Amino acid sequence: MDLSAGEALARRPAAERGARDAARGRPDAGPALLRLEGLSKRFGTLQALDDVSLEIAPGEIHCLLGENGAGKSTLCNLVFGIHAPTQGRMWLGGEDYAPTGPAHALSHRVAMVHQHFSLVGDFTVVDNLLLGQTRGVLDRKRCAAQVEALSQRYGLELAPHARIDDLSVGERQRVEIVKCLMREPRLLVLDEPTAVLLPEEIEALLDVCERVAGEGCGVVLVTHKLAEIRRVARRATVLRGGRVVARSEQPAAELDALVRAMIQRDLAAPGGGRADVPRAKVTTGETGRRPEPALMVDGLGVRDADGVQRIDNVTLIVEPGEIVAVAGVEGNGQSELAAVLSGMRAPTNGRFFVDGRELTHATPRQFSAAGMGVVPEDRHAVGCVLGMTVAENLFLDRLQQFRRWGLFDRGALDRSARELMARFDVRAAGPQSVFSSLSGGNQQKAVLARELTLSPLRVLLAAHPTRGLDVGAVEAVYSHIRAACERGVGVLLISSELDELLRVADRVLVMYRGRVMGECAADEGERHRIGAWMAGHAA
Amino acid sequence: MSPDLAFAVFAGSTVRLATPLLLAATGELVSERAGVLNMSVEGMMLTGAFAGAWAASATGSPWIGLAAGVIAVLPVALLQAVLSITLRANQIVTGIGINILVLGATTLAYRAVFGSRSRTEIPGFEKWSPPVLGDLPVLGEHLFRQVGLVYLALLLLALVAWMLRHTALGLAIHAAGAAPRAADKSGLSVNAIRYGAVIFTGVMSALAGCFLSIGDIHTFTEGMTNGAGYLAIAAVIFGNWRVGRTALACLLFGGATALQFQLPALGVDVPNALLIMLPYLLALIAVAGVMGRQHAPAGLTQAFVR
Amino acid sequence: MTAAALEASRFRPGPAVWVSIAAVAASLAIGALLVGLTGVSIPEAVAAFADGAWGSPYAIGASVNRALAFALVGVGFVFAQRANLTNVGGEGQIAVGGMAAAAVALHAGVAGWPLGLAWIVPLLAATAAGGLWGAFPGWLKARAGTNEVISTLLLSFIAVWMLYGSVQSEALLRQPMTSSSTLPESLPIPDAAQLPLLAPDSGLPLHVGLPIGLALAVVVGVVMSRTVFGLRLRAVGLNPEAAKRAGIPITASIVAVMAAAGALGGLAGGLMLLGEQYVLKAGFSSGYGFDGLVAGLLARGSIVGVLAAALLFGFLRSGGINMEMVAGVPSALVVVIQGLIIVTLAGAALFIDRRSARA
Repeated sequence: MDLSAGEALARRPAAERGARDAARGRPDAGPALLRLEGLSKRFGTLQALDDVSLEIAPGEIHCLLGENGAGKSTLCNLVFGIHAPTQGRMWLGGEDYAPTGPAHALSHRVAMVHQHFSLVGDFTVVDNLLLGQTRGVLDRKRCAAQVEALSQRYGLELAPHARIDDLSVGERQRVEIVKCLMREPRLLVLDEPTAVLLPEEIEALLDVCERVAGEGCGVVLVTHKLAEIRRVARRATVLRGGRVVARSEQPAAELDALVRAMIQRDLAAPGGGRADVPRAKVTTGETGRRPEPALMVDGLGVRDADGVQRIDNVTLIVEPGEIVAVAGVEGNGQSELAAVLSGMRAPTNGRFFVDGRELTHATPRQFSAAGMGVVPEDRHAVGCVLGMTVAENLFLDRLQQFRRWGLFDRGALDRSARELMARFDVRAAGPQSVFSSLSGGNQQKAVLARELTLSPLRVLLAAHPTRGLDVGAVEAVYSHIRAACERGVGVLLISSELDELLRVADRVLVMYRGRVMGECAADEGERHRIGAWMAGHAA
Repeated sequence: MSPDLAFAVFAGSTVRLATPLLLAATGELVSERAGVLNMSVEGMMLTGAFAGAWAASATGSPWIGLAAGVIAVLPVALLQAVLSITLRANQIVTGIGINILVLGATTLAYRAVFGSRSRTEIPGFEKWSPPVLGDLPVLGEHLFRQVGLVYLALLLLALVAWMLRHTALGLAIHAAGAAPRAADKSGLSVNAIRYGAVIFTGVMSALAGCFLSIGDIHTFTEGMTNGAGYLAIAAVIFGNWRVGRTALACLLFGGATALQFQLPALGVDVPNALLIMLPYLLALIAVAGVMGRQHAPAGLTQAFVR
Repeated sequence: MTAAALEASRFRPGPAVWVSIAAVAASLAIGALLVGLTGVSIPEAVAAFADGAWGSPYAIGASVNRALAFALVGVGFVFAQRANLTNVGGEGQIAVGGMAAAAVALHAGVAGWPLGLAWIVPLLAATAAGGLWGAFPGWLKARAGTNEVISTLLLSFIAVWMLYGSVQSEALLRQPMTSSSTLPESLPIPDAAQLPLLAPDSGLPLHVGLPIGLALAVVVGVVMSRTVFGLRLRAVGLNPEAAKRAGIPITASIVAVMAAAGALGGLAGGLMLLGEQYVLKAGFSSGYGFDGLVAGLLARGSIVGVLAAALLFGFLRSGGINMEMVAGVPSALVVVIQGLIIVTLAGAALFIDRRSARA
């Protein structure tokens, strides 16, 4: 595999390519299904895509890789007509292709499975499938029958009259896929579809991709998960900074090289593996007493407004200096756990303590006072105010310390902000920049900076702290978390990235349907057990 | 007055007073379901009332008046649509602005055409009653003898309810208001749907206004809608954005207004102000969530941009 | 509200000001055209307008007094807008303010009190009444998530009708009915409770409410942009969840700012009663609340903008009344001009935002 697209294409003579294709049991590609040439997209001053060229054959599964902000989603949006390219051209099935919107793309049988915002929560499955697809009086019965048929054909279990809001994330994605398949597409685009799926659901999805590709449909799969690439990718393209930096005709065999191309560094353990970090062992001090656990959760339960038990009798302990991970697929109570432990939601029963102080029904102010720092799951929703400046966000919970004679001292805020930004490597044009102008990684670093400088800090609750971050930012986040551990802070890490958890944590708890299925040391050897627990099997 | 008669008169008045609300609220419901909060219902009703009155008195035909009212409202509705959908202006500002503009414009035009403070009688619609129902002893005379527009209102109400539940258009309207991004990704044009909804609201409001001037009172007075447009919005809110409950709200509000005239006749002395205030009070109780959770369309008042 | 628009609250004369001026000029021009259409000679109408707006000390004073009421409501609106709350209940808050001021001035025996308390206490009552009328929808929003546009609007209607009802009944605020033709209005406000004039012998009807109002406008401006509370309001407006997490008391902030907005409206009502009208009657608020609301909307977050818009509307109203009396042009023309201004400015907001964002 080469780092230059042009070189790569030049190096393989056509005959060799044809022979290899034949060996794979596929006929020589022929006219490309989708061809992109010199595609560029600019948003104001941001060059999201720069001179991207790509080819996808019918029946091919093409994986699109790249860090966050590399341009993968933008590329998908261009193909689906959500935006128009600033430069460059596209061809579909040999003909000029310039979609003016999703409707236009759909009429060309290009379908996209989105990450967010494409199902109406209030509607049933059938109503969602009918939306935009039919005219006149609704024939719900016929649609339900079609759903059943497609379910059988592709192995996608779906209850036609269920309400979307009542479905799990995995089920909702199935609706998305059926919605696309009903159009009998010739090109299917999937944007990071497996981020929220159970391991077995991921396998099912990849099965569907293969079946669909087997029928001659082209599939573009945006992902960064190496396991998926290894299994289904026929070809892969790597984007970085909006440009194509690598292509591969044998992605399964060239995984390490692909990753290197993505990040220009090796996928070694971030911060150098657990063994390197001296663990703060729980010892009896001179007084002969054990120090208080940093965080103690006792029999926590949460029942929501609809009577569903979201958290069921959860008990856990985090010692000072320890990293405890809560693993599990999204939607099994982790969000509720994070909400309760950060004071955003009251539990129905049970209690929890930080450093011996009960915080079960405390206000967010009391949380901060007790030393509980929180890096929330969705920083945009809860962690920061996008419209305010970096400086204001960095000190959002302690603005009052900048009061001077009743008025607000901007100069002092500025100075303190600069210092914090330097310490945590938060890169922005300046403390007065609007928070929304920062990249995802820098925003997360800023939130971390604020929480880790809580004084005193006893516990850090970090929910999915590395979601959507590039590998460089991921490393930075974990190195800061480790540094906090060395100071005696207990860390509760909620995440579904099993690879990261196993490298970073001391212990792992697995949640399934609101309950703790099991607990074990964070060892590679326990991976199978953990996976079983995640799927709800008491291993 | 015998209780039967009193009730019949009350029922008849309720329906009559509720009709402009029913028409306007049905229209506004469609707009709000699609995501547009149309504060300018008041102005659109007034436009219909004035244009209808003017055309009817000029030509002597209430039917032409009706047509004129509907046509006259189109530029107003279009203005509201362009401002709130294409120009993405604040929907509350534009609504109130249009109301103010229309109030001033109709007052000016009325003075110019009819001279100030004249109370010209306008040729209006006759009352009508359906075959069997009109022949009932007491109720037939009072409840079922209504201007044709009343029956039209009920018919339109039923049509809209059916359309929202059982047609692709209804689905599209729901999606445009509840989840505009999803609607867009399904290939629908959210803005086109919203334009259509606003125009529909305009037409319905114009009909409501025409009912007031041509159908009911047979005259035009400056600012004659007198807050009915805002009441229609209150009815939609009270109705939790459902056709059935909104219609009920309109009847309730109409009944409250009818009581204003009925109670004194019965010798009951309730302050007028209280009765006039009642619909707003009821709507307030509804929005305070006292009557169950409110399900406003999630995208209401948010302009859509891809 | 976009970040760009919120930026505008740090006052900087940018494209917004020029567009506003252009919109006003265009609307006035169309107004002049309409005058021509009614058959009245334009110069005559303009002269009558100018005379009524600023042609005499009395006219200027009347215009400024009106503008004061608009400005207070508008400042309250802008203040609440800081927390992304839209208070359209100015009309009702004026009404409850007027009622409270009338009740206290007439029936609480304050007329004999020294040191100006005869008018201070009713004003305080008006402010408090308005504050409650604003706090309630604020509390509904914080607790039940009730849309404050709807709740303040409904409360506005309710208050207006309450006022109407209160002057119908002698048990409430109506003057004793000596004959069947006694008008439904309150007794006249006693002299002691009337607001002292700033320049008693000059014919300028400007009263002590003017410095009070200006001072309050300045205070609100400072609080909004230079205090921790103002900064926290911004956070609450932009992202209430994050603000809550950061320990900012959401409910208290929302209720406080809505109460403040209501209080300013109530004060406006008190000033109108004790400084201008001296009698409470139906139609007391006569659209002042809506004018103030519009002044607030057009100001796009800037206190100075509110004052400018309020002054403009004050002149428009006074000029319009005189134009009708002297030149026979219906004052509805002024209403049309106002409507045009609102509509054009609202429509131009998109372009203003875009230009500000690029700047």
